[in-house]
Amino acid sequence: MKLSSTTRLERLKDRYQQGDLDRRRFLGLTAAAAASAGIFLPWGNKALAQVKNVRFDGWGGTVQEAMDKYAFQPYTAKTSISVVQGTFGDETEIIAKAKTSAPGDFQIVHSSGVEYYVRYVNSGLTSEINEANIPNMANVMQAMIDPFRKITPKLSAVPYNYGTTGIAYNTTVISPEEAAAKGAALLTDPAYKGKIGGYDSMTTRVWYGALGSGQDPNNIQDIEAVWAKVREQRDLAKKFWASGAELMDLLSKGEIVVSEAWSGRVAALQQQGHPIGYIDPPGSYAWMEDLLVLKGSPMAECEELINFMLDVETSIAVSEGQSYPPSLDPTKVELTDKIKAMPAFDPTGKMESLTFADPIYWAEHETDWAKQWDRIAKGA
Amino acid sequence: MSRPRRKSWSSEGRLAWALTRIITLLVYIFMFAPIVATVVLSFNASQFGGFPMTGFSLRWYEVLWQNARVIEAFQISLWIALVTAVVTTLLGIVTAFALVRFDFLGKSILGTVVILPALVPETILGVGLLILIKAIETPRSLGILVLGHILLALPYVVLIAQARMVGVKRIYEEAAMSLGASRLATFRAITLPLLLPAVVAGALLAFTISFDNTSASLFWRPAGVETMPTQILSMLKTSISPEVNALGTVMIVMTVGIPLIGGILVQVVSRLKKRTTRETAK
Amino acid sequence: MTADRLPATAKRGWSLYDPRLAWLLVAPAALLLICFMILPIVVMGIYTFYTFVTAGVEEASLTVANWHEFFTDSYYHGFLLKTLRVGMVTALICAVVGYFPAYFIWATAFRQKWLLLLLLIVPFWISFTIRTFSWIHILGEQGLINVWAMKLGLIEAPMQMLYTEGAVIMGLLHFLLPYMILNIYVSLEGIDRTLVQAARSMGCTNAQAFREVTLPLSLPGLAAGLMLCFVLAAGSYVTPQLLGSGRDALFGNLIYDTIMGQLNWPMGATLSIVLFFILGSVAAIYTRFMGMSQIVKGLGG
Repeated sequence: MKLSSTTRLERLKDRYQQGDLDRRRFLGLTAAAAASAGIFLPWGNKALAQVKNVRFDGWGGTVQEAMDKYAFQPYTAKTSISVVQGTFGDETEIIAKAKTSAPGDFQIVHSSGVEYYVRYVNSGLTSEINEANIPNMANVMQAMIDPFRKITPKLSAVPYNYGTTGIAYNTTVISPEEAAAKGAALLTDPAYKGKIGGYDSMTTRVWYGALGSGQDPNNIQDIEAVWAKVREQRDLAKKFWASGAELMDLLSKGEIVVSEAWSGRVAALQQQGHPIGYIDPPGSYAWMEDLLVLKGSPMAECEELINFMLDVETSIAVSEGQSYPPSLDPTKVELTDKIKAMPAFDPTGKMESLTFADPIYWAEHETDWAKQWDRIAKGA
Repeated sequence: MSRPRRKSWSSEGRLAWALTRIITLLVYIFMFAPIVATVVLSFNASQFGGFPMTGFSLRWYEVLWQNARVIEAFQISLWIALVTAVVTTLLGIVTAFALVRFDFLGKSILGTVVILPALVPETILGVGLLILIKAIETPRSLGILVLGHILLALPYVVLIAQARMVGVKRIYEEAAMSLGASRLATFRAITLPLLLPAVVAGALLAFTISFDNTSASLFWRPAGVETMPTQILSMLKTSISPEVNALGTVMIVMTVGIPLIGGILVQVVSRLKKRTTRETAK
Repeated sequence: MTADRLPATAKRGWSLYDPRLAWLLVAPAALLLICFMILPIVVMGIYTFYTFVTAGVEEASLTVANWHEFFTDSYYHGFLLKTLRVGMVTALICAVVGYFPAYFIWATAFRQKWLLLLLLIVPFWISFTIRTFSWIHILGEQGLINVWAMKLGLIEAPMQMLYTEGAVIMGLLHFLLPYMILNIYVSLEGIDRTLVQAARSMGCTNAQAFREVTLPLSLPGLAAGLMLCFVLAAGSYVTPQLLGSGRDALFGNLIYDTIMGQLNWPMGATLSIVLFFILGSVAAIYTRFMGMSQIVKGLGG
């Protein structure tokens, strides 16, 4: 008798959970079963799978792998709600997609902080979270929640982790002393022409343009000077990367020796043994990331997942996996030494040592600046 | 007789012919070198996607096979392409039939408009449909994606069927009908079999057009859905990994193999047909 | 006459080739073309007059701001000219390089002619994305040319070939050459070969026969190929995206980035309509002089 594909999948899962199968084989067989299911049941398996799942979109690579391993998989094992994952390289992408989708097509987004939060709010994509369902929010730093609450008193997102966009450099080419002395000027150092990288995203470009031209990124007086710096770096750069995975690829292959970089991705490179150093120059771009629930999502399941992810143990495990400090308040929760050693880690729980983007200021200029960067990227 | 006899050639002519041969050879090399490079590199053991080769390995195919997202994109593309092929062929044959056999108001306009999807850049068709579905507040769906692909493949199927239909003399159909066969029966018994090569060719072409579509799918695909080409594009964003090369090779085998087998089948079927018709004619 | 003998159709009062039946037959295709091509372009035309508020948000209050921006901003003009230039250069190279193989296939005594033709069609079956990215293996820093040239000691550091305009044109050539070759070949096939022989027998040299007979008679195919290659090259998006740097963007990339990156849909619609009209008028001028038939042959063949 022929087993239906779904039954076959379920049996596989059972065997996997009982430890009969190793993970590799399990995945292979699952894929095979899924493929045959798909071939005999076009889109039908989608309907079967509709039982219960939550969609999550994140930044891919090491960061999302950590979330999958330490949060999503245990969550699925516990609740049998599966987490369907997608990835993006630049958050604008996901806003564009959400805008042209039915509510509920996209559900939880690993969003990068308040300056993006404003954009979702403006596009009418946000929801209202019932905080009573997320008791673990009590451990989250108040300093991280407040900026969100200023924009919408009823939150649509919960802060999860934070980090910085500092400067990564190849230590075989650039010494730590040189990096510390030059700071943001490294990115426009003609000595490294053709070996410089950068993030293909307006906020980072303008932020470092401001630092490079000696201005406060949250109060730019001379935007033309910023654009001049942006152009300078563009002309020296080899490539502007579009995802964290590409950044790691370029740095590890030595295609670029200096670039702005996300602290967690550099930590991942260092753990893999690559000779990459990292500094936060004065005024380095700090950001927090939040779990944002979009309009039309199954709220109870999403809240449950977020609560699960904020559980102290889970959160610490994810944090160590992705090398970004968690949003847990270090004055309330005992964090591990590994987390305390991470770049950007703030032991006070007040976030005063870090410079975040002023959401109101940036939202005002977002449209014009995005357009201008787009043009500069195309050689204007 | 296909070309002027070589004996009578002037030295100038010989030189020109030699040049033609060399350039032709170079063009063929140009067409296939990058594709061959991709196939060769897919067996590279190195973890980087470029030259030099560090050894022969199938491990990237293994990695590929375990990539659930690729498998899913593959299934989706396969189904979209199959549906597109079937529907477009039906639609195209019927439309071509009407365009060739009938005279009606708006015939020449339709004849032109039906070719336009092949000429209007996909970016424009993509943006247009995206804006339309936004304007009428319909979310993107697989159905819309499939209909879009049908639109893109329609011109080719109609053109192929039209070309073939012109060759099928209407006298055959009229003869059958005058003998009392119904319209539908005539179409089934006379027109369709004579059109078979066009039907198969059209279906294959529609399949590949859909399976291969990139630009328009980028605009039309619903939330979270990746088709094979858009999946490749997003993998390329990270880096040229050998996995992408392996995927490329699988796709090449798929898209070249299927039409080739199909083409051979058509040859065989039409040869058999010819033989039987000849025999019955005797 | 035939019609009177067809009871089934006659009963309903329909003649054999009744226009009403034709309409019924083409209705689904016509509906698809209207809903998925004509209507979208019309709506896009209306959208160009919408007001852009902020990323992802627009209002239905009518404005000419988008058109004003397009006509006054030299940034767009620069990219438009560049796109037309790249399109023309690509089409011309295609024509020059593509004529030789087309002529060869037509003129060769080689028995397996079908094989040569098949090899030209095979690339159409290979995913366009794959064909495009495969150039990275040839032109990239770890590509065939650089790796070999370095091994042979011709160069010390890898040459920058990828992410240049040259690479983009190369990718477009690779994509468009088969279209060109097939178009020329189709029109060469249409030439009555006895004409060439006649010219020869009247004392023309081969070169003269080619110049006086073959070339002029193959011009329609050449023209159709040029038009097709130009339109497809100028409308391309994926090739510059994969093989060019930001600077090598074409108008299609501008449209994509405006829509998907800046989320400025009214401006994106405006740019799309501009491209549509420019390429549309090129095609219209072409059909005005050459008619549709050659293109039809080239695409269907």
